[in-house]
Amino acid sequence: MATFFEQLINGLTIGSFYALVALGYSMVFGVMKLINFAHGDLFALGSYLGYTLLIASSSWVTVHFGLWGGMAIAMLFAFSGIGLAGVLMERVAYRPVYPAGRLSLVVSALGMSIFLQNGIMAIWGARPQAYPAAVVPSTRFSLLGLPVTSLQVVILLISFTLMLAIWFIVEKTTFGAAIRATALDRSTATLMGIDVRVVIFFIFALGPALGGIAGVMNGMYYRAISFNMGWTYGLKAFTATILGGIGNIPGAMIGGLLLGLMESLFAGYVSGAWKDVFVFFILIVVLIWRPTGLLGEKTAEKV
Amino acid sequence: MGITDNILKRIGLGKPSGDQPVTFWSKNRGWLLLAITGAVFAAYPFLPFISDYWIDVAFFVGVYALLGLSLNIVLGEVGLFDLGHTAFYAIGAYVTAILNTTLHIPIIVLLPLSALIAAGFAYLVTSPVIHLKGDYLCIVTIGIGEIVRLTMINNPFNLTGGPNGINGIGGPNLFGLAINSSTQFYFYTWIIIGVIVFGLIRLQHSRIGRAWNYIREDATAAEASGVDVRSYKLLAFVLGAAIAGMAGNIYASKQMSISPGSFTFIESSLLFCIVLLGGLGSIPGSILGAVVVVVFPEVFRQFASYRLLFFGLALMLMMIFRPGGMWPRKREGTGLDGLGIRGLPRNDEDLILLGKPDPAILKPATTAVVRGVRLPPVTVPMDEEMLLQTHGVTLKFGGLTAVNNFDLNVRTGKITSLIGPNGAGKTTLFNMITGIYKPTSGQIDFLGRDITGLKPHTIISYGIARTFQNIRLFPSLTCIENIMSGPHCHARSGTWAAVMHTVAEVREERDIVATAAYRLDEVGLWSYRNELAKNLPYGKQRYLEIARALATAPHLLILDEPSSGLNDKESEDLMVLLQSLVKEGFTLLLIEHDMQVVMGISDWVAVMDMGQKIAEGLPKDVYNNQRVIEAYLGKEDD
Repeated sequence: MATFFEQLINGLTIGSFYALVALGYSMVFGVMKLINFAHGDLFALGSYLGYTLLIASSSWVTVHFGLWGGMAIAMLFAFSGIGLAGVLMERVAYRPVYPAGRLSLVVSALGMSIFLQNGIMAIWGARPQAYPAAVVPSTRFSLLGLPVTSLQVVILLISFTLMLAIWFIVEKTTFGAAIRATALDRSTATLMGIDVRVVIFFIFALGPALGGIAGVMNGMYYRAISFNMGWTYGLKAFTATILGGIGNIPGAMIGGLLLGLMESLFAGYVSGAWKDVFVFFILIVVLIWRPTGLLGEKTAEKV
Repeated sequence: MGITDNILKRIGLGKPSGDQPVTFWSKNRGWLLLAITGAVFAAYPFLPFISDYWIDVAFFVGVYALLGLSLNIVLGEVGLFDLGHTAFYAIGAYVTAILNTTLHIPIIVLLPLSALIAAGFAYLVTSPVIHLKGDYLCIVTIGIGEIVRLTMINNPFNLTGGPNGINGIGGPNLFGLAINSSTQFYFYTWIIIGVIVFGLIRLQHSRIGRAWNYIREDATAAEASGVDVRSYKLLAFVLGAAIAGMAGNIYASKQMSISPGSFTFIESSLLFCIVLLGGLGSIPGSILGAVVVVVFPEVFRQFASYRLLFFGLALMLMMIFRPGGMWPRKREGTGLDGLGIRGLPRNDEDLILLGKPDPAILKPATTAVVRGVRLPPVTVPMDEEMLLQTHGVTLKFGGLTAVNNFDLNVRTGKITSLIGPNGAGKTTLFNMITGIYKPTSGQIDFLGRDITGLKPHTIISYGIARTFQNIRLFPSLTCIENIMSGPHCHARSGTWAAVMHTVAEVREERDIVATAAYRLDEVGLWSYRNELAKNLPYGKQRYLEIARALATAPHLLILDEPSSGLNDKESEDLMVLLQSLVKEGFTLLLIEHDMQVVMGISDWVAVMDMGQKIAEGLPKDVYNNQRVIEAYLGKEDD
């Protein structure tokens, strides 16, 4: 039972990282129909930004604002930095390629991803870095008799709050309706008076920014970060997005959480080495059973 | 392409254009280009400034060219997002490594064997998922790639050697000649590529290559024109995997050791870039793409860790400034020669006469064989007068009944019209007849056969062709290529026949292009034969679609709102054309809103409202029917 609980909380934590990255992925994907392969690398960049802020000041931030304050500031820093990077990326790498079609966009996104990865390597080096123990909160306590760390609880709280907030913005506000309308049909949305440029700006700022926060939390949780960790997270986020159903916000969250849970329970009970094989296998089975993902709508093509 | 053409023209090898005299050079252009290319390849390793290092680079260009060519079939020709292509490459390499190190099977025997096993693997893993659309298929291919790589790392049954891989793989031995030096590997690889390129060019210019392109352009229209979409997609994966498997064999035998690190996701994405950099569906493009992807990092070697940074930038810049790729496949402006079909008459016009159909093929058949297509035996009582009958056809979408218990009778040799307000379910009924939807209940009989629930490409081969309400052409193909999809479903030549240009294949291809030429001329679009379909004005696109349907030599032609978007003059021309088609022996069924057209040419009119038949009869009777007027204009208040 203790193992189960441990794997459960671990799976939820990893799953919430996946979910946050997948949310951004899904927003960009839903509106732009763009598989943003560089999304995972922005997540990694977020991790590095938070890391730099915390160690560059030789823990000045942590000393003055405390462990939690330092973490909050690092997350805000990564949030704004990556939001800016996302908008820049759209301007430089994607906007000029839109007329060329989706396949060219995929190549441009792959180019961006390679560029970011090697950029991170050029700045921070090829060797993995580690968040110093001094900046990571590590209080342990017991919840209903089961051991958890305060970091896990805070990560889960922040993640779920963010997910709820995004869900609220997209599903319940007028601006969210504009996003959904743009995702469904861009030209009709423009005709209805929606400023599509604002929508695009917003999703390219907010989507990656969420990944930035997840990057800092991921750094705090695992401590070790490396320049090429974005690939794995990008791939997992893409998997989660598809698993939940393309462009579907609750789908991306559920997909991410499910992915994290499956991974960690399989690793805990069956085999760590085969966990990713298991995840991809489940993905394929789900798609055979439901060709548009778990929450994806069944759309009959109009002929 | 423009630059290449100019250079060729300057050195006297340009394409012969009308006003230039035919010289020895222009006549043997193809052979000369081949000879020059061959000479350059043969001389390369012996050039004084080429070291063994650069011969090895050329070898790796070859491996990536093979991989690029193999992915080009799936991604370039058929348009399937395959981001896990490395899986097939890995299978080829591991099959070679395992069988060579344990059972000591010679590498040269393993070359075809690894191709075969990779192809079999591709068939097994892609057939359950081949129906998935775009991005869903993309993630599945990524998943397959990752599953293969992780399996190799996890060393099942101690076969794959885990993360360290397998060492001590032998080299190929050609009838006593051991291949081991860099130069030998260079020639070995590029000769194999030469053979494969030959086959791929032949395939590209055959009904198989065209079917792949039809699917890429519009899969629904391809299926409705008689292409078995599922099988052709699978064929692309299987052939692509076979070539990638060969590349794996060559790579393993040169490196003598392999490990999972060579088969990562980034490798698959590089292959994706190769195809896009070269140009979708372009064979020389894929080879050029491989040159860029392999040579670029080598040239920038002195910048060490920055070289991939530049590479990423270069990819983005390429897509911004040359989105179509470096050497895109050119389709328009090549004339009918560009189709690559042998034995065409020197004068294009003669082709039209060659394609005049045999009147016999339009008579409804009572036998089991129609135009070489073996139909199942007649199962339902056949009424010579009724070509098509639907009996109580119903289709429900969830709680909504789109078509309810509908009986439709289409008389042989007549024009039947189906009218009704928007949303009445007319197009849905057409979609059931042509096999796009499967009815919830009811039966559809055609020529005495029950065709309910058959696949669209089967139904069209029985003799029912259609056009779409919103025109669906193959936009980036030429007009003649568009129409050549029509006869596709009656042709039989397979992959091998296409590569070998068998006598039957060449004859079949000539018949296909002749049929297309005749139909193109019939609708008055002959002069547009080499234009891309997307460049035609709207009205002409409608005619092109009708010609494509006619080219399938159907008994029944179904037209969904043929006059929509046409002006009065164009509508009148259309009526003349439709009536001439009836004289030619076709039976017509149309959905139409233009009452002038309906009343002018129909022999029989059925009226549909809310999925049900509310009236049918001669045009003038229907025109005055009280229920029909109510359905269109609403009921008068009492």
